[in-house]
Amino acid sequence: MSLLDRDAASADALLTDLYLDALLAGALLGAAAVGEGPGSIDRDLDPAARRAADRLRRDLARVHPSFRFEERLATRLAEAAVAMRVPAAAGAEGRVVPFRAARYPLDEPDPFDDDLRGQTRDLSRPLLIGGALTSAALSLAGAALVAWRRGRPSRSVPSMVRAARAARAAHAARRLV
Amino acid sequence: MARPVLGRSSAISASGTAAGEPRARVAHLDRDRALVEEARRDPLRFDALYRRYLAQVYSYAYHELGDHHEAEDATERTFLEALAALPRFEERARPADGEGASTFRVWLFQIARNTIANQRRGRRRHPVASLDAAATIADPLDVAGGAVARDEAAAAWRAVGRLPADRRQALILRFVDEMSTAEIAGVLGRSEGAVRVLVHRALRAVARDLESGSGDR
Repeated sequence: MSLLDRDAASADALLTDLYLDALLAGALLGAAAVGEGPGSIDRDLDPAARRAADRLRRDLARVHPSFRFEERLATRLAEAAVAMRVPAAAGAEGRVVPFRAARYPLDEPDPFDDDLRGQTRDLSRPLLIGGALTSAALSLAGAALVAWRRGRPSRSVPSMVRAARAARAAHAARRLV
Repeated sequence: MARPVLGRSSAISASGTAAGEPRARVAHLDRDRALVEEARRDPLRFDALYRRYLAQVYSYAYHELGDHHEAEDATERTFLEALAALPRFEERARPADGEGASTFRVWLFQIARNTIANQRRGRRRHPVASLDAAATIADPLDVAGGAVARDEAAAAWRAVGRLPADRRQALILRFVDEMSTAEIAGVLGRSEGAVRVLVHRALRAVARDLESGSGDR
């Protein structure tokens, strides 16, 4: 398609667009009978396209669903809307707070691990107060205990850890010999 | 409306023009803006938007699918998805869109279009609009005239149903939902110029179909 043809096609399309604007506006206002309204556009447009447009305006009408369907879907949407509001309501009163922000030295740092020597462990843990916790029927005291136990550095090193460290030290000593 | 630009206009600030320069402010052009904001605050308020656009979405689905039950199904999915996705909706009206522009409507029809496309893909055959559909529109009180009108409507529906998908959708949005070219461009994801050409060619194809009488078969 040459540029000239393309321009001609665009001009025709624009003409059709203007005609349809006028036609549909006339239909909306209940005025401008078909073929009498858009004036010069009406004369310039291809008569067959104009007749087709008039016919489609008449035959492609808007249809409305049944009242039963409308109300059923309205109920379904309302249920979905309520479900969307529930999560916010359940957690809205809750807030995340840092729980016992404190730092403890690491117990018995690995003598072979220079990176860990002299370091401390950050025990600050976020805790959700209210909201989800209360709705889950967990007591605040219980949650606090769990958080404290999880964050508290162990005072005694488990026997398995001690055995592993001893084996590692022995292995290193053998390699040096 | 095709381009994702929030409408802005230049206005002199209320506090005067101390700097002597107009300050740009956001112009809220979307006619559904108030309803959308209410629905965002309280999802139960979505009902107002639903009532406003139910017939339009349903008509679009009905003309595309040619079956009441399938149209109801597509309509239901469209509105449920729109409600769930409403927090992500962005108003993108431009001054050029005019006062009656609704980017919410365009956004809703984008969802409807995708839903309908999935539904059409999901079924085995793609019947064009049926005679029952045409009968719904013909005047039920005028029996003799109704029969003629029904035949003519059915022919027009068949002619539209034979069009390629993009042309068919453009015609339905233009005639049934009375959308502007800019709105159709937004729904179909095309430029306004491309939509104009699409509608023009679709109309000529329907005209040929109806003039040759093949639309009557």
